[in-house]
Amino acid sequence: MNAAPAADAAGPEAKGRFSGPKWKRFKTNLPLLLMFTPVILFYLIFRYAPIGGLVIAFKDYNFYDGVFNSPWVGFHYFEVLFQDPRTLEIIRNTLVLSLLSLAVGFPIPIILAIMLNEVRSMAFKRTVQTIVYMPHFLSWVIIAMLVSTAFAMENGLVNRVVEQITGNTYPFMYEKFSWVSIFIGSGIWKDMGFNAIIFLAALSAIDPSLYEAAAMDGGGKMRQIWHITLPGIRPTIILLLILSMGRVMEVGFDQVFMLQNANVNQIADVISTYIYRIGLQGAQFSLTTAMGLFESLVAFILVFTANTIARKFDQGLW
Amino acid sequence: MRDSRSEKLFYLLNYVLLTIIALSCILPLLNVIALSLSGADAVASGRVTLWPVETSLASFKSLFTGTPIMRSFWNSVQITLIGTGLSMLVTIMAAYPLSRRQFYSRRFFTLAMVFTMIFNGGLIPSYLVVQNLGLVNSYAALWLPGLVSTYNMLLMRSAFEQLPGEVDEAAKIDGCGETGILLRIVLPLSKPMLATLALFYGVGYWNAFMSVMIYINDTAKYNMTVLVQNMIKSTSMIQDFADPTMLATMTPEGIRSAAVIVMIVPILAVYPLLQKYFVKGVMLGSIKG
Repeated sequence: MNAAPAADAAGPEAKGRFSGPKWKRFKTNLPLLLMFTPVILFYLIFRYAPIGGLVIAFKDYNFYDGVFNSPWVGFHYFEVLFQDPRTLEIIRNTLVLSLLSLAVGFPIPIILAIMLNEVRSMAFKRTVQTIVYMPHFLSWVIIAMLVSTAFAMENGLVNRVVEQITGNTYPFMYEKFSWVSIFIGSGIWKDMGFNAIIFLAALSAIDPSLYEAAAMDGGGKMRQIWHITLPGIRPTIILLLILSMGRVMEVGFDQVFMLQNANVNQIADVISTYIYRIGLQGAQFSLTTAMGLFESLVAFILVFTANTIARKFDQGLW
Repeated sequence: MRDSRSEKLFYLLNYVLLTIIALSCILPLLNVIALSLSGADAVASGRVTLWPVETSLASFKSLFTGTPIMRSFWNSVQITLIGTGLSMLVTIMAAYPLSRRQFYSRRFFTLAMVFTMIFNGGLIPSYLVVQNLGLVNSYAALWLPGLVSTYNMLLMRSAFEQLPGEVDEAAKIDGCGETGILLRIVLPLSKPMLATLALFYGVGYWNAFMSVMIYINDTAKYNMTVLVQNMIKSTSMIQDFADPTMLATMTPEGIRSAAVIVMIVPILAVYPLLQKYFVKGVMLGSIKG
């Protein structure tokens, strides 16, 4: 056989117009293409058109002239953004909140998965799993409500305990440090169980005979986890780290929006809430599109860098 | 195998920690359930922890009679059912061709779609597209811009690709076209993945918040998430809605808790049924890498 592409090389070349591999391929492709057309339209209109709409970051967008006819202003809005201490603070807040969430939140599902994997009673394991997956499906409105109920100054469960111990209540939601802790904690609480699923899948693929061998050699539980379990799920860890690197620039809008309050705005205002408030409510379309473009570009660079690093470990996404 | 002393300690510690984690996930919910079922005095004086005190349905009564929760509940149901149906349909229409080896340019299309996962136009340009299409204030603005989640589509594609090739060879010989293969073979064999993604889309539509806040101006069209958020943000709104005579028998806290319960119940109803499917679905996605 020669090296011709498999699809075209199959069978003898028939010369008729309505036979032969090319025609056959077209015949099976036609229904597929028809099926695929709405999908192409969707991606063009709702994914690629907004990317084209990014040009208004370089224009002075106004409603009457629209995206195409508004006058060009070059990098004017980027200069405005990067000279305003307020927007620099917002970019800093975004990075601080998401990097902290990543640093604290990333290892926890791994630890949880390893803990679940060491449980021998199937009933106990299943019960715990069912419970810890659940918060993932609750909306941030509900979680914010649970959080504010638990940490409320009056009658909050946490403050009632604090009051018994110290005699005073503490304004958890209104002090910067405790607010950031609650913010990060609530994110972990919501998703740790669900994120553990992937690691559990990776753990189930580890050969159990490795553990037996380690036990023979006298390796204790912690040593087994360190030398067998963790290396066994390393590819999954790296892969998920890349994926979360790409999301470093986006602190979820819902979470910040629901949890923030006027007292902590100095630390709690992030890019997504800024774009919503100044852009949509304040109709500053060009300025906030510039902010959005900056956000997307940084995210893009982060994913690329993370992937390049991961490729050195043969774990790249592409 | 016999356990050494350190191993016993390890297992004990593990069980204790996992129990604490599980409790931390369930206690806040029990607290809210207790609040919603307690009498106004007990809630106001902070005597409710995990069990209803002075059990009463007053909070639910005021919620249903004094606020538009029922209307927004039906709005949420409508948004979720139609949205999930549309999303599933188009996700299948995207995933199936891409899973077929003979499909033209499947690599190009896949890359073009994956690109939108790591680079996007962001909020304002997306808003302008929706606005220019005249979709503002219609539910289409909630369904169309998020119709296909590329991540879900990739999960579905890899589920389709993992089906044994011989089956559709046989179907082809029996005269089945591409749509026949999809409807009679691929979809019935992919039920776990379909259930998983329907759950993901459904929960997304049920919890939709930002899109509703941005695109829907008419308060009569609000879903529960936005309504409940408004109720939480301003106590006065509850007082505006509620019948003044009711206010004597309930607290804003109790009403909010009742609203949260109404929002959670449908999720809790389908979640256990679908759990085994979504665990399988997520695991399937992880193998492909």
